[in-house]
This record gives sequence, structure tokens and C-alpha cells, in this order.
Amino acid sequence: MTTAQFLQNLLNGISIGSVYAIFALGYTLVFSILGIINFAHGAVFTLGAYLTYAMAVGQFGINGLLSGLSIPVQLPFPVALLLGCILSGLVSVLIERLAFRPLRNRGGDALLALVSSLGVALVTVNAIQYFVGSEIYSFPPEIYGDIKPAITFSIGESVVVIRTVQVIIFGVCMAVLVSLGFLIARTRFGKALRAVAENPATASLLGISVNRFILYTFFLSGFLGGLAGSLVGTSFGVAGPYFGVTYGLQGIAVIVLGGLGSIPGSVLGGIIIGLIEAFVPPDYSAYKEAVSFALLFLILMVRPQGLLGQSQIQKV
Amino acid sequence: MALLALENVSVNYGGIQAVRGVNLEVNTGEVVTLIGANGAGKSTTLRAISRLLKLREGAIRFDGREITGTAPDAVVTLGIAHCPEGRQVLARQSVEDNLELGAYVRRDFAAIRDDIGKMYDLFPRLGERRNQSAGTLSGGEQQMLAIARALMSRPRLLLLDEPSLGLAPLIVLEIFSIIRNLNEQGTTILLVEQNARLAMQNSHRTYVIEAGQITFTGPSRELLEDERVMRAYLGD
Ligand SMILES: Nc1ncnc2c1ncn2[C@@H]1O[C@H](COP(=O)(O)OP(=O)(O)OP(=O)(O)O)[C@@H](O)[C@H]1O
Ligand SMILES: [Mg+2]
Repeated sequence: MTTAQFLQNLLNGISIGSVYAIFALGYTLVFSILGIINFAHGAVFTLGAYLTYAMAVGQFGINGLLSGLSIPVQLPFPVALLLGCILSGLVSVLIERLAFRPLRNRGGDALLALVSSLGVALVTVNAIQYFVGSEIYSFPPEIYGDIKPAITFSIGESVVVIRTVQVIIFGVCMAVLVSLGFLIARTRFGKALRAVAENPATASLLGISVNRFILYTFFLSGFLGGLAGSLVGTSFGVAGPYFGVTYGLQGIAVIVLGGLGSIPGSVLGGIIIGLIEAFVPPDYSAYKEAVSFALLFLILMVRPQGLLGQSQIQKV
Repeated sequence: MALLALENVSVNYGGIQAVRGVNLEVNTGEVVTLIGANGAGKSTTLRAISRLLKLREGAIRFDGREITGTAPDAVVTLGIAHCPEGRQVLARQSVEDNLELGAYVRRDFAAIRDDIGKMYDLFPRLGERRNQSAGTLSGGEQQMLAIARALMSRPRLLLLDEPSLGLAPLIVLEIFSIIRNLNEQGTTILLVEQNARLAMQNSHRTYVIEAGQITFTGPSRELLEDERVMRAYLGD
């Protein structure tokens, strides 16, 4: 591997890794409050990408109920992205109200919640397919306005390409990570959220509405999921209703690697999985998920609680 | 007028009846003690008042309004603070954040800062450890933090579940002097205690609960002289 190739892989890895980080945080937030992995999160990721696409581009293809539809009013990309994330957050809130809370109120087992979140994921993905078909939708480069699509520079013989999209993605992810970190670590809201995560009964004795904070958590989670989906969509295209499935699995790999329930762990895990993927040689890129899961397995043999997770004894 | 009134309250855990037909009143300005053997239903009664447990039957009124169906967080807003049994501090957050969260229902942020300072005056050990995570405090320090945190909401009614548990004798006396002070400043208190004598000496009235039912009630001074209560709960 030449220096240029190394640098190229590093940049690609950090860019996609930052998306994995914010996506994985969506799982982590819900896990730290409810102790469950929300399988519907991958579907929210997909839905978010379609929502942003609909508002920013709005040209639908030849399959599905909406085939040939072209939405007349297009929003500037940043606005479409923000709205896409907010709508994804609201969908996630709806999922909590319909799929999680009723089971919780009946004292349902965590396994039931898992099954119902899988059900929600399937229904969402099928609904997307029904409406807009299974083709790939790409964001045209014009959505970013009048900027160069890429910067290139050469080291010796070879060339490093930094796509503008990658820079934008990285910047957005970092801004979101820093704001979220501040929100959770420093604000009254964040302290109350962590109180609910640690001990819901105690939190409610302090006047904190546990159910309301669960809703806030799902909103944040869905917002992050929709953001990740939209960003991946702008970079690689919205690759059909099932495109969230592999990302969903990668996201789960990230949170297990980082340590379930650990926020810094999700960020670290995201960057690591992104880098692993980027360094898988192009000829083997179809196997990059397998590679990251194999590595995950090896790391878990040594550190079953994940890189930054608490030991299981404390958690259970 | 009674600030708090329990009318014929029963609470079950699954099939087990832990509290049966309890009638209990706490008047504005009073300190009322609830004593009883282990498992008699004292903590259950307090959890029913703060709405952590559903009633099987009966009603609870606070300040003249029925709170039987109110959510636990809303009860705090109305002015009830519950310092639960066994120092339920938020172990992963700092001492200061625990206190700040104790004032979660308040919006007067400047006054909250002042009150945190007052808690540090009251419990200097907490002040020295303000940035430490609460889980690293000693048992006694956690108990102080739990009490201080309950005070942070500036409750009209304070429910204290065994505040002296695990504290050194001198600190126990200090806790009781804090209870007296709070009461003089207008806080109404319902106190559950193992240390029955001390609790009764520092309260206006006492209820005795046995197997989920109230068996004696009266002014603490009189019950302190009652032979049956003395034999059963005062160890002489
Ligand atoms: N979560 C629970 N599930 C089932 N039974 C319970 C539960 N909590 C308490 N109980 C039972 O209810 C009864 C009353 O318990 P409670 O905790 O109110 O007693 P207590 O008077 O506070 O005792 P102590 O002085 O030991 O704290 C006991 O028989 C206890 O075993
Ligand atoms: Mg008890």
C-alpha cells in the first residue's frame, strides 16, 4: 500500500466511520434507557434517507405506487436534511408509542420488545418498497450548490481524492457529536436523561417523567438514524428499501464493539468499523461486513464487555 | 386541616397484601412517625404515597386534592419529596448533580444554587466531595446525600424512610436536629424509623403498623408511655 493509498483509506474510513458513530448512538441511547436493541433503528435510517431525498430531489422512478411522481417544490438541501431528521425522530417516537410502551406497560419481557421492533422494521421497509419501489435513488451533486465535487492532490506517483461530500459528512457528524455530548454531559436535560437511564424509579421520585424522557430518547435516536441514512444516501445513493439492513447490522457491530450503552464507546466503535471497512482491499469489498464481524468476534473474545463498556456484572 | 390523608388504603404485591385498610393523617406543620417491625409495611405505605405503587383500594389526598391516580413525577411537583429506603443515590453522577436533580421540579435557578450551598453547610462532607461520583461515597455519606437531595425540591411534605440507617450515633443526632429545624421552618414530615424512641421523641404523633394494619396511634408523648408499645418497639 502506498502512502497515498493509506491516506485515501484513512480519509474514507474516518468519514464513513463518523456516520457509523452517529447511527450507532441512536441504538445506544435507547439501549441505555430501556436495555433493548431497537431493531427498527435500521428502518428509520432507511426512511430518513427517503424523506430527505423526497424533500430535496423528489423525483420518483418507475416502480411503486408513487412511480413517475415528481414533487414540484424542492427544499434547499440543508433544510430538507433537517426536516428529514426531525421527521425520522417523530417516526421513532411513534414506534416507541406503538411498539414498545404497550408491551412495557404490560410488564412484557425484553425479548418481546425485540421481536416487535423487528416487526416494525419489516413493515416500514415494505411500506417504502410499496410506495417508491426498490430502485436506487441518487442525490444529484447540485444539491450542495456551486462547489467543487472533489479536491485532489498527489503524493509521489499516486493521487488522493477528497470528495466534498465526505468533508461535509464528516463536518456534520462532528458538529452533531459535540452538541450531543454537551447536551448529555452538561445540561439539566442530559443529567435528567442519565438519571432515567440509571434508575427510573429514583428519577421519578425527583419529579422526572420517565415516559416523557423515553420519548425524548426515541426522538434523538430517530433523528440520528435519519441523519445517518440521509448522509449515506447523499454519498452513495439511496440503495433501495433494504439498504438500511446491512447498515443496521454494522451499527449493532459498532455498539457491541464499543460497549453496550457506552456513548464514547459508540463513537470509537464507529470510527474503528469505518476504518476496517475502508482498509478492506477493493477486490474483497463485498466481504467487508464479514471482515468487521470477524474482527468484532476476536475483540469480544478478549474484552466481552466491548472496548469502553462496563463489565456485565454491573449491568445485569 | 390534614395536609396528607390516607383513607382505607390497601396495597398488594401480586397476591400478597402488604398494606391493609390504612387510615393515616398528617397535619400541616406536624412531624408524624410511623413505626413497626421489619416487613410491617412502612416503606410500602410511603411508596404508595409517592405513587410508586398502585393502590388496590382506598384513596390518598394531598392538600385537599385526590392524588390516587397521579403519576409519581407529578406528585413531586405538588410538593411531596420522598427520600427512599437504602440511599438511592444516582451512583454514576456527581454529588452536585444529584443535588441539582433533587431540584428538578424547580425553575428558580439562582435560589437552587444557594440551596446547594446550604446543603454543603448542613453536610460539610458532601461539600468536600461535590465533584466525586455519588457511588464512591461511603454508606453514611450516601444517606446524607439522599436526605439533602430530597430537601432540594423544597417540599411541603417530606417522606423520610429510615434516614438514620447506617449512620454513626453522632450523625443520627444531627439528622434529628435537622429534622426539627426543617419542621420549625414549616416543612411537614412523615418519618419511618427503626430508632423508634428517638423518632417518637422528635415527633408530634405516632402510628404503629403491624402486618400491614395500623394498631396504635396517638400523640408520641403518650405512646412513649404505653406499655404495649414500649414492650414491642422500645426494647424495655
Ligand atoms: N417488591 C416486592 N415484592 C413482593 N413483596 C414485597 C415487595 N416489597 C415488599 N414486599 C413485602 O411487603 C411487606 C411489607 O414490606 P415493606 O418494605 O413495606 O416493609 P417495611 O415495614 O418497610 O420493613 P423494613 O423495616 O424491613 O424496611 C413485606 O412482607 C415484604 O416482604
Ligand atoms: Mg422499609
